Amino acid sequence: MIETIDVAHCTGCGICDLVCPADVIHMEDVARETEVQGLAQHKLLPVIKFREHCITCFSCEIFCPETIVDVHPVVKNRPRAW
Amino acid sequence: MSEFGGTLIDTDILVIGAGAGGLLAALSAKRHGAPGTRVSIADTWLVGRTGHTAFSNAWTVVVEPEDDLEAITREIIAGNDWMADQVLVREVLAMSWDRLKDLEGLDLKFPKDDRGRYIRRPTRGLDDTRVLCPVGGGLEFSWRLRQGLEAEGVQILDRIFVTGLMRGRGDAIVGAVGIHSRTGAFHAIKAHATVVCTNAITFRSGFVRDITGTGTLLAYKAGAALRNAEFSYTRPGTPRFYFEGITFAIQEGARFVNAKGERFMPRHEPIWGDEADVPRIARAMAIERQQGNDPLYLDMSLVPESIRETFIKSKVKWMEYFYRKLGKETQTEIFGSTPYYPQNQMTKMGIRTDAACRSDVPGLLSAGLAQAGAANHFAGFHIGMCIGTGWIAGRSAVEDLGRLRAPVLDAAEVRALHAEIDRERNDAEEAASDRVLRDLQALMFAWDVSVWKHAARLEPALDRLATIRERFGALAAPHTHELVRLKETEAMLLAAEIILKASLYRTESRLSHFREDCDLRDDANWLCWVDICDGRGAPQFSKTPIRTPISAPGGPEGRAVKRAVKGAA
Repeated sequence: MIETIDVAHCTGCGICDLVCPADVIHMEDVARETEVQGLAQHKLLPVIKFREHCITCFSCEIFCPETIVDVHPVVKNRPRAW
Repeated sequence: MSEFGGTLIDTDILVIGAGAGGLLAALSAKRHGAPGTRVSIADTWLVGRTGHTAFSNAWTVVVEPEDDLEAITREIIAGNDWMADQVLVREVLAMSWDRLKDLEGLDLKFPKDDRGRYIRRPTRGLDDTRVLCPVGGGLEFSWRLRQGLEAEGVQILDRIFVTGLMRGRGDAIVGAVGIHSRTGAFHAIKAHATVVCTNAITFRSGFVRDITGTGTLLAYKAGAALRNAEFSYTRPGTPRFYFEGITFAIQEGARFVNAKGERFMPRHEPIWGDEADVPRIARAMAIERQQGNDPLYLDMSLVPESIRETFIKSKVKWMEYFYRKLGKETQTEIFGSTPYYPQNQMTKMGIRTDAACRSDVPGLLSAGLAQAGAANHFAGFHIGMCIGTGWIAGRSAVEDLGRLRAPVLDAAEVRALHAEIDRERNDAEEAASDRVLRDLQALMFAWDVSVWKHAARLEPALDRLATIRERFGALAAPHTHELVRLKETEAMLLAAEIILKASLYRTESRLSHFREDCDLRDDANWLCWVDICDGRGAPQFSKTPIRTPISAPGGPEGRAVKRAVKGAA
């Protein structure tokens, strides 16, 4: 299951969002204040929006060009019933 | 209610689903079609990076020209316990060499030895069949095909979640409607022929849990018959992490044991023991559970130290990451006594078609695991069938362009399909479909309902399902993410009803369907498909005898036959 994305080192390319087959990661607009009050800098950054639906396929980690995504191999949300 | 509006896409052939079946159907349609034939492929997520294929090794059966096609066909039919469309299976196998060449033409590489021969290997329980997989596995397979489709002019429709098939103003299917899986924007795709390739339905339980296979249920609602609902792919696995390779582990000395430390497989399968077919291992595990002998383990302590590393390696990219990141403790657990239990990977319910992959509804075809050509898709045969049926369906869809009348949309129908989606959106609601899903999984994965069935347990399960469905009826989705999941859960609930009723209907045991109250194969009465049609809102069941032009039970027995048939030597 996806653990973290180190957004401080993210270029905002959006590949992690694109390749996720479970709609877990969404690129969202993040506004940062600037030296001029009232003006902000905008950047699209990945947000782990639906972590509970991660299928642990590692796609985001595999295809991230900056290698800043960390997926844990243990599947915590696997159905346990029989 | 939101205002009606959206995007209309006009195409000749629409392929829904981008696993191996869908990708090959689109390629085939483009290559068989006259110049200018418009082909579109839609998937809920990114085409080329989704589907069961993308996360597999993409092992596929290939029959080389010097192989014995007849022997391979017969053993695969037997391995399916004769639940197979024999003509279709034979055609898929016969064309597998040409498809391999097509894939190589898309720059997909397959490993060869020093003498230039393909490196193939036997697959579980079969003598003559050989399988191979591409360099880079399923991710490379899927991505090369996407690139190939783009290069040949196929329209790629990423992130379109299909919610309904359109009838238009005639008897034929004239395309589909759906929403963009991120924005929720409504789309209608008008098509002359529509090929459903959305896999068999799952309950979000397999190792690729983005697959839910809702297309089969859309086809059912549109008038197509389904079959194989009583069968499933239930594979023993570990509860906490993914570990494949039971076959190889057993070959190297691993043994299933119960809580008392007893090897239980020889008791249930005196001839094959731990090497029995996977469904029969699941059956044995369920009986052990019934007898109070669980938890059950795959004891790997007898696997030699020297080869242990091979069990924590994989050619599949995501598995490679998985094993690399596994903690020491988990690796130790693999080689100690690893708790195992049967896990439902997917159902086998698919769309009934003829050997040309045409459903009963004009304009509607099917390929891949959404097509019910065979009830058991063991390693290699699984994707082999997807590749073959995809190719056949694409070719048939092109032939249909000249046979079917030009599609005409019915505005009232499109509006009604839009309203059906819109009705389930409500910003004020909480996303709650997961709770229903968990209850549904608990119901459908119970050992005594899913593996070791009995009429006395299936009937109450139907009652419990009715209660779950009642709760589901009150749900709505606050956002598109939940709307997609809600529609998928809705399809699973319908699938659950069909599966439970089909399991009651087939009063024998065969392949992966085991009835405690009818625990014998009954070829005299049940060498049949159980076909399911929508009869005014309730599933109607009937039997269709399975044609056996190539192989019938009782013929020359290979290993596959011995493994599948209870009591056979």
